[in-house]
Amino acid sequence: MSNPKHDKGEHYITTPKAEPFLERLIFNNRAIILIAFLFLTLFLGYNAIKIQPDASFERMIPLEHPYIVNMLEHRNDLENLGNFVRIAVEVKEGDIFTKEYMETLKQITDEVFYLNGVDRSGLKSLWTSNVRWVEVTEQGFQGGTVIPDAYDGSRESLEQLRQNILRSSEVGRLVADNFQSTIVYAPLYESDPSTGKPLDYAAFSKQLEEKIRAKYEAQNDNIGIHIVGFAKKVGDLIEGIGAIAWFAGITILLTTILLFWYSRCVAGTLVPVFSSIVAVFWQLGALKLLGYGLDPYSVLVPFLVFAIGISHGVQVVNAMAIEAAKGFDPITAARLAFRALYIPGMLALISDAFGFLTLLFIEVDVIKDLAVAAGLGVAIVIVTNLVLHPLIMSYIGITKGGVRHVQNHGEKQDRKWRVMSYFAHPSVAPISLLIAVIGLGLGLYYKQGLKVGDLDQGAPELRADSRYNKDNAYIIDNYSTSADVLVVMVKTAPEQCTQYNVLRAMDRLQWELQNTPGVQSSVSLADVSKVVTKALNEGNWKWYEISRNQTIINASIRSAPSGLINTNCSLTPLLVFLEDHKAETLDAAVEQVEAFAEENNNDEYTFLLAAGNAGVEAATNEVISSAKNMMLMFVYGVVSLLCLITFRSIRAVICIVVPLGLTSILCEAIMSVSGIGIKVATLPVIALGVGIGVDYGIYIYSKLEHYLLEGKTLQEAYFETLRSTGKAVVFTGVTLGLGVVTWIFSPIKFQADMGFLLFFMFLWNMVGAIWLLPALARFLLRPDRMLAKARAK
Amino acid sequence: MATRLTRKTIGAVCLGMSLLAAAPSVVAIGDVLETPARSTTLAAEYLLNDVATAGERIVAVGERGHIIYSDDDGKSWTQGQVPVSMTLTAISFPTATHGWAVGHSGVVLHSSDAGETWAVQMDGIEAAKLAIAAKEERITELEEELESAPEDQQEDLQWALDDVYFTLENMEADLDVGPVNPMLDVWFENENHGFVIGAYGMIFRTTDGGETWKDWSDQVDNSTGYHLNGISRITGGALVIVGESGLILVSTDNGDTWEKKESPYTGSFFGVIGTGNVNEMLAFGLRGNIFLSTDLGTNWTTVPNEAGSTLNGGAVAKDGRIILVGNGGAVLVSTDGGETFGSYFRRDREGLMTVVPVSQDRLVLLGESGVANADATGKNL
Repeated sequence: MSNPKHDKGEHYITTPKAEPFLERLIFNNRAIILIAFLFLTLFLGYNAIKIQPDASFERMIPLEHPYIVNMLEHRNDLENLGNFVRIAVEVKEGDIFTKEYMETLKQITDEVFYLNGVDRSGLKSLWTSNVRWVEVTEQGFQGGTVIPDAYDGSRESLEQLRQNILRSSEVGRLVADNFQSTIVYAPLYESDPSTGKPLDYAAFSKQLEEKIRAKYEAQNDNIGIHIVGFAKKVGDLIEGIGAIAWFAGITILLTTILLFWYSRCVAGTLVPVFSSIVAVFWQLGALKLLGYGLDPYSVLVPFLVFAIGISHGVQVVNAMAIEAAKGFDPITAARLAFRALYIPGMLALISDAFGFLTLLFIEVDVIKDLAVAAGLGVAIVIVTNLVLHPLIMSYIGITKGGVRHVQNHGEKQDRKWRVMSYFAHPSVAPISLLIAVIGLGLGLYYKQGLKVGDLDQGAPELRADSRYNKDNAYIIDNYSTSADVLVVMVKTAPEQCTQYNVLRAMDRLQWELQNTPGVQSSVSLADVSKVVTKALNEGNWKWYEISRNQTIINASIRSAPSGLINTNCSLTPLLVFLEDHKAETLDAAVEQVEAFAEENNNDEYTFLLAAGNAGVEAATNEVISSAKNMMLMFVYGVVSLLCLITFRSIRAVICIVVPLGLTSILCEAIMSVSGIGIKVATLPVIALGVGIGVDYGIYIYSKLEHYLLEGKTLQEAYFETLRSTGKAVVFTGVTLGLGVVTWIFSPIKFQADMGFLLFFMFLWNMVGAIWLLPALARFLLRPDRMLAKARAK
Repeated sequence: MATRLTRKTIGAVCLGMSLLAAAPSVVAIGDVLETPARSTTLAAEYLLNDVATAGERIVAVGERGHIIYSDDDGKSWTQGQVPVSMTLTAISFPTATHGWAVGHSGVVLHSSDAGETWAVQMDGIEAAKLAIAAKEERITELEEELESAPEDQQEDLQWALDDVYFTLENMEADLDVGPVNPMLDVWFENENHGFVIGAYGMIFRTTDGGETWKDWSDQVDNSTGYHLNGISRITGGALVIVGESGLILVSTDNGDTWEKKESPYTGSFFGVIGTGNVNEMLAFGLRGNIFLSTDLGTNWTTVPNEAGSTLNGGAVAKDGRIILVGNGGAVLVSTDGGETFGSYFRRDREGLMTVVPVSQDRLVLLGESGVANADATGKNL
């Protein structure tokens, strides 16, 4: 096997001295290997098809965090607190006091009553008998259902209804402050009491859409339906995951078109696409075999695997086309391409994989899964796109069109590359560096505003303008309610949860919290006791206090909502409603509770954090903030180390890593400016972006070094680098960007955020490698010394 | 409720701005009698039960030991220093500087600087001990009487004695639990002489500015121990106490002796005020019941009105208007000495406890969610 070009400038990176063992192993046993690939693909593909969506929310939270440990430990005691849906039935023109509206509300109430999963005894609406008005009289209490007994839809009975509602204290709870909507409140069973199967959120959510929203909105233009609740949110999320299939299709199509435009060769287009799809099947199959499912995060990994596969495939196609243009037959061209690429390719992919594995430091299962899935995927790409791909190509070869394209295009392209090679010019490089420094300064400045956590109103998983969040906003605007709840668990000995001292302590903490910025209101047994004690004393507000008399306390909480006391009265929750779920709001509330607990926890009671969506978010934020710096350190450490091992030069490492660092900082600045917080979804972006982004640098630097060692000047060497690999690098950046850009349209907010940021990272890392790397090289590299050193060897 | 939340939100935002990056407050829980009221900017947005004027200053009491004062007719409020943190129920300022406030745990607080700082004068334990001592004394008296009494009176005396024993036992049982019963109202004539009244017929009198207190229950015909809810002086100088189950007590000798009046009503009265005319008064309570007496409580006439829900408090303006307020956001105004009332129901329907008519066209309303500045009818400004 002779290659005049490579004989001259032998170098350990591009062309090992001996004909590589691997090359012989692979190319001398082509048929056997291909058959093995076929069977493996069939086997893993079969498993891949069986993989199940797994939207387990436990995996999205940091299970090791003490808050979550507490929450899960007391999960059974808190069960009925959060699982309900609220359906607001809105009348768009006029108010709720019409015969027509009340009739619709009655039908909806009945409809909800019969939905599977609804705890019928707890169902509440104006039409249920558990919604009552109460009045204190000389003889004691007097009351009745808010719907008058003799209700007939007449003006008089509607007026009576209005009076009853005003007396019932349901305004702001079941009835909107503006009397334009009322709520049907449906608590849900976690699992079907008759079958014991867990509630199918997707199916339940679909029922709500079909049987309630679609039906009644169609029936009457004047009726609007707004639905919120955990079950609905999960239902919408699962529905959102479905959109991924479309994105996959669009991504493959776009990539194929781009690839053809690039290679003008049908084989050079279809084979990388095919190899990359094989990689995806392998990855999914392997995940299935390892016992993983697909959650809303890891469902994105196949896109990455596909894009990475294509980008490495492009290098192979590019290299083969160049060799083929020199007149080599397909198998020789494939062997040469393999020989030239397997070390930088493997290095790039291994650094990707290590970059991903740094995500294992974050104690959130979905991120760990993401790390495993992505790491595995990249390992697979090494096999499929560095072995399978050249093997297939060695049979098919680049078409004549493709070869011609390389030859014709070469001349035209050269002018462009010539211009770009000035990035390495002594008078351009300082300007580039200056721009980089300015960019760095701007990045650091804007990055200061970077926040941890979710920043938008409503359910952070979904978009602000999603149907769910619009419904949520409607209900928050018209009712006294907050979607962000922090639950403090107050633990006592059995049967002691209603003791005076316990209620007093809760009451005091509530007042401290009420005085904490960002806390809207709070509820606990202490409030129930005060309100009922007042009611028992003829409704006189002067009695609004927790009685020291335990008998009175016991009487006052006899009819407390069941969620506020667990079965053996050893745990009672304190619900804190927050204005939003911004990190500082959560921090302020959580710190207050912690300070209080530390000072006051004793043998009688223990205040434990935390449950509720805000509790989970507070824990997640804490885990993420502490993991963030460690993750960055590791990912940069690993990437630098790999570059150092490969190129054995600190200067090389700086040339490659500095552009990445600049991109990372700019990415954080963009997050800060566009209001994206550091969260479970965006934390992996930097690791992924850096892990993958380093590929560009590795490809460019290895070529650059190669040409420098041939004795070329820096600019000349860089020109040759761009000629040989520039196109592939640009193309890689574009492919990777394309791979993730479709996520921006995902109905799931965090997927959109990830898509947007990764798109930026992938493209900008490419720009950084092409533009900034040569400028740094101008200042850092000493070509004469490198040459001398290489010769000495 | 939404308005309440909004107001709280604004409060929280203001607080947030003033406390930016504030460290969490560290508070150790102690008994409410030993734990000072937390310094807060929110007191004017939470339950306020009663109000008094100390010269030009308005001073209000509420939940969690809140005592706040305003020198600009209720527009802005400052929190006083209070060494306790239970719900306070009533306040009285006989002079511009000396004032008393009472509340749960039987607490009696005193201020000699127009409400800025407060000190405990008596708590429920001391009050209960005083009451128990009085009952024990009464028992001794009754037993002596019983011994020397003629046969035909013995049975009645024995009944009376049993009653006192029963009351005493209850008091002792309560004291075992702690200071369980609240004071419900306070009235001071001047910086020396005053009464505090409360649950289960508690009534104490001082003539030395609260340094010592005397149990006054023996002077009051209330053997069933009904709650005493309100005490007022009416024009002409008579003192009136109203309470549970239609109880009406009148004293024409500045509190030395009290006469129980025949009641026009069996439900509870929550307050009584003079109309501004000599010997005339209005008693009010549950379900919008208002009764007018023009003869020191001997005869009563029902005052028809639209309130429908409990009336908690009231005031007479300088120009003679009488304003009563109550649950359900009811604001009742009379311009004819209490014979008829016009009514307005506030949009938020939140309970009102009391009112200060600060000018001809402005009311300061206090209640369930703190202070509201309203026009003369009760509508929000």
